[in-house]
Amino acid sequence: MDKGDMVPTPGVSSDTPGFDAVVVGAGPAGSAAALALARAGRSVVLVERGPFPGSKNVYGGVVYGRVLDEVVPEWWNEVPVERWVVRRSTMMMTGSQSVSVDYRSAAWGEVPYNGMTTLRSRFDNWLATKAVEAGAQLVTSTVATGLLRDAHGRIVGVRTDRDRGELRANVVVACDGVNSFLAKEAGLMPPAEASHHTLGVKEVLDLPGHVIDERFGLRRSEGVDIEMLGCTRGIPGGGFLYTNSDTVSLGVVLSLPHLAEAKVRPEELIADLKNHPSVAPYLRGATLREYAAHLIPEGGYDTMPTMVTDGMLVAGDAAAMTLAAGLWLEGVNFAIGSGLAAGRAVDRAIAAGDCSAKGLASYRSDLEGQFVLADHKRFRKAPALVLSERIQQRYPGLICDLVDGMFTVTNPVPKPGGVRLTRSVAAKHGVKLRQLAADTVRALKVFG
Amino acid sequence: MDDIGSGPMVVACIRITDLRPQIEPLSGTVVREPWSTGLSPADAAALEYSFRIAEAWSGHVVVITAAPSSADAVLRDARALGATVLRIAGGSPSSDQAYVDELGSDERGMAGMIVAALAPLGRPSLVVCGDRSSDRGTGALPAFLAHELGAAQALGLVAITTTDQESMVVAERRLDGGWRERLHVPCPAVCSVEGAGVRLRRASLTATLAAQRTEIPQVTAAGGPGTTRGADPVGPAEVVVGPVRPFRPRTRAVPAPDSDDPRLRLLTLTGALVAHDPPTVVGPIDAAGAADALLAFLIRHGYLDTEPVGEEAATEVEW
Ligand SMILES: Cc1cc2nc3c(=O)[nH]c(=O)nc-3n(C[C@H](O)[C@H](O)[C@H](O)COP(=O)(O)OP(=O)(O)OC[C@H]3O[C@@H](n4cnc5c(N)ncnc54)[C@H](O)[C@@H]3O)c2cc1C
Repeated sequence: MDKGDMVPTPGVSSDTPGFDAVVVGAGPAGSAAALALARAGRSVVLVERGPFPGSKNVYGGVVYGRVLDEVVPEWWNEVPVERWVVRRSTMMMTGSQSVSVDYRSAAWGEVPYNGMTTLRSRFDNWLATKAVEAGAQLVTSTVATGLLRDAHGRIVGVRTDRDRGELRANVVVACDGVNSFLAKEAGLMPPAEASHHTLGVKEVLDLPGHVIDERFGLRRSEGVDIEMLGCTRGIPGGGFLYTNSDTVSLGVVLSLPHLAEAKVRPEELIADLKNHPSVAPYLRGATLREYAAHLIPEGGYDTMPTMVTDGMLVAGDAAAMTLAAGLWLEGVNFAIGSGLAAGRAVDRAIAAGDCSAKGLASYRSDLEGQFVLADHKRFRKAPALVLSERIQQRYPGLICDLVDGMFTVTNPVPKPGGVRLTRSVAAKHGVKLRQLAADTVRALKVFG
Repeated sequence: MDDIGSGPMVVACIRITDLRPQIEPLSGTVVREPWSTGLSPADAAALEYSFRIAEAWSGHVVVITAAPSSADAVLRDARALGATVLRIAGGSPSSDQAYVDELGSDERGMAGMIVAALAPLGRPSLVVCGDRSSDRGTGALPAFLAHELGAAQALGLVAITTTDQESMVVAERRLDGGWRERLHVPCPAVCSVEGAGVRLRRASLTATLAAQRTEIPQVTAAGGPGTTRGADPVGPAEVVVGPVRPFRPRTRAVPAPDSDDPRLRLLTLTGALVAHDPPTVVGPIDAAGAADALLAFLIRHGYLDTEPVGEEAATEVEW
């Protein structure tokens, strides 16, 4: 960071309200951080720009709740769930074909559950309410517009867009989501890089609950999660479909630079997906309720910012913590995990009387010791592999044609042998068997 | 109950409701969520006008609503702005949904309830409401309130300003053709305002934080129509409407079609087979240029003469 930026904030008076911590952003990361701090008996204010937590937030639709075990005992009895995911399907597609790997587990539909579909306006609000019940003060419709610094350049709070809007605190926890302005202002973020981000675009479609049950083979509280590859006209990314109680969330996730290059409107890609022969029958008669778009920090471990500085730490998407490793798109659980860890680290730092970067350093070691950074580290090469040209543009078609070749009955011509079929299909898609083998080894290394 | 301020009492009577209710498409059931509760633009305007008028009169604002506890966050915001707040609660929290359903159904009874709840605070000089609530509101409540209070009423306003006298406000109401009528409203009065023209002020952060720690005073629903009617046997003073010319577009003489064939006459009259102006792209131009282009189009097609319209015209009206 440029030293010149680190000037003391003029007019930060001593009657500016002081707290142990200010958490910016009442998304999952911010509410979890505020909750951990409030439960530790710290005074904490949670600042949210939307009129209520979750009002501004967009995601696909599945939250993996194991991380909540630590937050609320038997959370499944009170969380605002839409459906419990009991079926998870990975679909590889071309414009007219699809091959699915479909997994169904009865255990996922029972306590303690695995994943749930939930709506962010309800879920985020529920989590923020937990923080408020624990003693955090939530201020909505308020934007944190900048950092307050003391004479030594140390961060001592935030400025907001309200009159007399300065908040002094021992530590600022920046949970302001992807493209965090606070992390940038603190000099923690490397310059934004489009290739480390994808654009998620989704529609929520109304469909009566019993119709969802019938079409997707579900019972009332059961849900399905379908992840799709090969449905984005060659733009690196993928698609998703999640069932809620009376709605279906359908969307695509697209590499930003490739989307710009392709000059395609994202809604055209959603329209393609809705018309795909493998998707359209699910959605017949569905009507549009909502349309939304949001950036996703998909760069993973190697693109994360520095996580602490004197008087401030960064959690959730602000620290690029969404795990987007091909088969996984998990962000909310990582945000909650990092928020809780941030809250604990701030509590320890305050107890030790040292809120400098050194005093807050236990945050990173805590994250490394649990799934948040361990998973990211394990899958650090996954984003590059998953968004690579062959995986995105060649393999979905190759797999579909391979299955087509196996199951299309060509009497009186005899069935082709497996090796000949693979060779000819690979050649059709411009893939050499050598490359296929190399990619298999690479995938094993990345995910193994 | 909060400490009541001094000076004339201006009451903002507002409806706090879910601004984004979900409507079950098959049954039409309205599902309301407590966290997306807020003020409609009309209620926000009512609150802002209440503050402006109370400031001008060196008076104080009382905000009253009949709602379940989900309204408390909005009331705390109003308190952070300096108002005294009061919530008329339903029977029990478990029947919140039933209470909200009931609220819209009997506006006369509701007016009685509100006036009864206000009675211990004194007689309001002015009550400002939104012109209608976004939750099934018919806009009738302000009229019932005026009746219960024995006050004058001026409804569906776009602006309220104070005068030299505290016994009078001046209000504006839209008329057709961009005209406005100006009303001299004697107080006590009940006014309802459209959600336009003003933006509700925001409280400072310090006041917001302080207000969050406070309890919202509540009274339970009581009263009913006619229980509290103000004891003014003469009735309210009359609202005086300023003289305005009504909007009368000039008649356009259309020459009779020149043919004996009814079909041709019809075609001429309707212009069905005549080439029309193709759609024209006039932009990109700035707002003033766009307004000129639109006006020129309307004048060219005989919808407007060249006289000024709208607010400009309202100021030219002789009083
Ligand atoms: C299309 C899409 C699909 C996704 N699908 C999934 C999925 O299925 N499962 C999953 O687990 N994850 C998914 N994710 C990722 C997930 O949404 C994020 O990882 C998660 O929301 C991160 O939480 P957060 O609290 O860090 O940030 P956010 O949820 O972005 O919350 C940030 C909060 O900060 C507030 N804020 C921002 N700036 C300010 C400011 N200056 N002042 C005050 N408040 C501010 C915002 O209003 C917001 O409430 C998806 C994301 C997208 C975009």
